[in-house]
Amino acid sequence: MRRVLRGVVLLLLVVFVAPSQVAAASARDTGQPVVRVGTEGTYPPFSFHDPRTQALGGYDIEVVEAIADQAGWKLEFVETQWDTIFPALDARRIDVIANQVSVNDERRSKYGLSDTDTYSHGVVVRRTGDDGVKTLADLKGKTTAQSSTSNWAKVARDAGANVEAVEGFAQAAELLAQGRVDAIVNDNIAVLDYLASTGSDDVEIAGNAGEELSEQVLAFRKDDSALVDQANRAITALKADGTLAGISRKYFKADVSVPDGGSADLSEGRGHRGTWEVLRSTAWPMLVGLVKVTIPLTLLSFAIGLALALVVALARISSSRILSGLARAFISIIRGTPLLLQLFIVFYGLPQIGLKFPPFTAAVIAFSLNVAGYAAEVVRAAILAVPKGQFEAAATIGLGYSLTLRRIVLPQAARTAVPPLSNTLLSLLKDTSLGSVVLLTELFRESQLAAAESNEFLALYAFAGLYYWVICVGLSAAQKRLETRLDRYVAT
Amino acid sequence: MTDTTERNAERARVRVSGLEKSFGDNKVLRGIDFEAREGTSTVLLGPSGSGKTTVLRSLNVLETPDRGVIGIDDVEVDFAALPPGKAGRRASGLLRAQSGMVFQAHNLFPHRTVLENVIEGPVVAQKRPREEAVADARTLLDQVRLGDRGDAYPFQLSGGQQQRVGIARALALKPRVVLFDEPTSALDPELVGEVLAVIKDLAADGWTTVIVTHEIRFAEQVADQVLFLDGGVIVEKGPSARVIGDPREERTRRFLKRVLDPG
Ligand SMILES: Nc1ncnc2c1ncn2[C@@H]1O[C@H](COP(=O)(O)OP(=O)(O)OP(=O)(O)O)[C@@H](O)[C@H]1O
Ligand SMILES: [Mg+2]
Repeated sequence: MRRVLRGVVLLLLVVFVAPSQVAAASARDTGQPVVRVGTEGTYPPFSFHDPRTQALGGYDIEVVEAIADQAGWKLEFVETQWDTIFPALDARRIDVIANQVSVNDERRSKYGLSDTDTYSHGVVVRRTGDDGVKTLADLKGKTTAQSSTSNWAKVARDAGANVEAVEGFAQAAELLAQGRVDAIVNDNIAVLDYLASTGSDDVEIAGNAGEELSEQVLAFRKDDSALVDQANRAITALKADGTLAGISRKYFKADVSVPDGGSADLSEGRGHRGTWEVLRSTAWPMLVGLVKVTIPLTLLSFAIGLALALVVALARISSSRILSGLARAFISIIRGTPLLLQLFIVFYGLPQIGLKFPPFTAAVIAFSLNVAGYAAEVVRAAILAVPKGQFEAAATIGLGYSLTLRRIVLPQAARTAVPPLSNTLLSLLKDTSLGSVVLLTELFRESQLAAAESNEFLALYAFAGLYYWVICVGLSAAQKRLETRLDRYVAT
Repeated sequence: MTDTTERNAERARVRVSGLEKSFGDNKVLRGIDFEAREGTSTVLLGPSGSGKTTVLRSLNVLETPDRGVIGIDDVEVDFAALPPGKAGRRASGLLRAQSGMVFQAHNLFPHRTVLENVIEGPVVAQKRPREEAVADARTLLDQVRLGDRGDAYPFQLSGGQQQRVGIARALALKPRVVLFDEPTSALDPELVGEVLAVIKDLAADGWTTVIVTHEIRFAEQVADQVLFLDGGVIVEKGPSARVIGDPREERTRRFLKRVLDPG
C-alpha cells in the first residue's frame, strides 16, 4: 500500500511539476525568443497536414516561418480549433495566430494586428444548382455554416443569416452538401482549394460576398507591440525581396500578398486520394495519438481520480460535518456540470487567475477531478456495503483507522466497486476525445486533422471508433479477470 | 515487579463499577458492578434487551460507556473522566487491547485464509514477528481442532468451524480476558456442542472468560460466577450452582423457568 501511495505521489510530481519546468527551461535556454504560433492545422491550403508526411504546412505556415527567419524567432506550433484560438491567445497559451485572421474593427481594437499578408475576397457557396442563393442579400433568413467566431460568420450574420457553428470548412461543406444548411460564406481561396482537392461537385461558388477585399493578418496580443513591429519589418522585407510572392505562387499560381496580384488558380488541386490510401496513411498517426496521449491520459487521470475519490468518499462518510459537506458539494458540482465545461474552466479559465497548466496537465486535472466526482459515490457505497461487523472485528484485534481501511475494508469494497468503476474507466477512455479541444493531439484529433484534409469523414471517424472499441474490449476482458480474482474467497 | 505481582494477587483481573450507558433516551446500563478473578469464567444471563451485549462491548470499548470505571489488569479507564479526542482514543485503545472478543456472527475476514485471520492482529497490530505469530497460530488452531484448515477461506468452513476460528483469532492476541457474546446462538443445533467444548477447554486451561449465553446447562458447568441482568442492572450474582440452582430473586426464577422449559 505504501508503495502504491508513493507511486501516486510520484505520478503527481511528474504531471504537475515536470512539464512546466521543461517548458520554462526551453524558453530560457535558447537565445532566440520562442514564439508560439496558434493555427488550425485543418484549414487547407493555409494550414494543414501533408497527408503523406503528416507534416504541418500551408501558405500561412510558410509565411510565418519566413517571418520568423527574418525576425529571428524560434517557432513552436500549437494546433487549436478556430473557435478557441483567440481565447488561447488571451490566455497566453500562444503568442500569435497564423490562420488567415481577417481584419475587422473589433479585432483591430482588441489585438495587435500585423500588416496584411493575404488579400482575398469572400464568396458565397451554395448547393450545386440552388438558384435561391446568389449573393449575400439572399442569405437573409437562411442558415449558413461557419466557424462561429470567424469574420465570415460576422459577414453572414450581418447579411441576416442564422449561423451554425462548425469546426472548419470541410465540415461546413459536408453540412451544405447534406442539405443541413443553405450556404457558406468563406474565403475564395479556401473554397477553390476544397473544390479542387476533393473534386466535389455537390457545392459550388454562387458569387462574391460583397465587393470589398478581405485582408488577412497575423494577430498578436495588444501588449506585444515589439512582436508586431518585428513582424511588420519582416513582412515589408519579404514583400520587397519577393519571398511572399514566391510562397503565394507555389500554392495559388497568383500573388495574394498584394491587392492586385491576379486571381488564384487552384484547379490542379492537391491530388485526390482514395479512401484506403487516406486510412493507410492516417492509421499510424492515430495509433500514435492513442498510445502517446489517449491511453496515458486515461490511465493517469483514472489513477489520480481514484485516489481523490477515496479521499472524497472518506470525507463524505466522516463524522465531521465540514468534511462531509465539502465532499458533498464537490460531488454535486462535478456531477452537475458538463465535463467539457470543466475542461474549459481548467484550460481557459484558470489562466485568468494565474493558474496555467500545459495542455496534458490541464486535461489530467480536469479528467481526474471528474473521475473523482463520479467514483467517490461508488467508493462510498462500496465501503458502506462492507458489514459493520468487519469494522468491529478489525477494531477488536487492534487495527486503527487506516489499517482497517487498507487491510480489511478496501479489499472487500473492491469486489463491489470493480464493476461500476470499470464503467467509469471506459467512459473516461472515450471522454478523453474531448481533449482535442484543449490542444491535445490525441486519437480523435488525429482523425479530425485527416478528415479536414481529405474529406473522408465516415471512414476516418469509423476507424477512430474502431481503435476506441478495441481498447474498450481489452479493458472489459481485464475487468472480468479482476472480478474472478476478487471472487475467489466467496462461495459461488 | 514484586509490587505488581502482589497487587495482581489481591486485585481482580476484571473490575467494573458504576457502569452506565444510554442510547439516546434509552438508559441501557444503570450502574453495573462486578469483578472477575484471574482464571475464572463469568456468565451473563438475562432476558433479551437487558444489556448483556452492551456490558460485553463496553469491556472491549466497542461501545463507550457514559460513566463508570472499567479495569482489566493494569489498565483502568474512568469513562466519566475520559479526555476527548486523541488522548481518549489512546486510553480506549489500551483498554481494548486487554481483551479479545468472539462475536455471535463470527465476523471473520472473508478475504483472508484461516491462518491469515488468526495472525492479522499479532502481526499487524501487535507487530510481533511473523514466524512467531504463525507458530502460535498453528498451536491455537490445533487447540480449537482446526489444525489442518489453516489455508482454507472462511466460506469453505462450517458455522461451527468458523466460530472456532473466531475464538482462535481472539486468543492469538494473548488477551487478559476473552469475551464471548452468544457464541453459539447463530449455529445449527448440531454444531453448538463442538464450540461449547472448545470454550470449556479454555476455561479449564486457565483463560479468564466473560460469556453471554442462553445455554443454561453449559453455563452451569463452566461458570464460576453467574450475573443475572435485567433492565440494565445486575439483579443477582453468585456462584453458578447458587444462582441457577437456587435463585433468590423472583425475576431470575421466572427467566430460568422460561428458558429451561419453554412453552
Ligand atoms: N447501537 C445501539 N443503538 C441504540 N440502541 C441500542 C444499541 N445497541 C443496543 N441498544 C439497545 O440497548 C438495549 C440493550 O441491548 P443489548 O444488546 O445490550 O441487550 P442484550 O441483553 O444483549 O439482548 P439480547 O439477548 O437480545 O442480545 C436494547 O434495548 C437495545 O435496543
Ligand atoms: Mg446481545
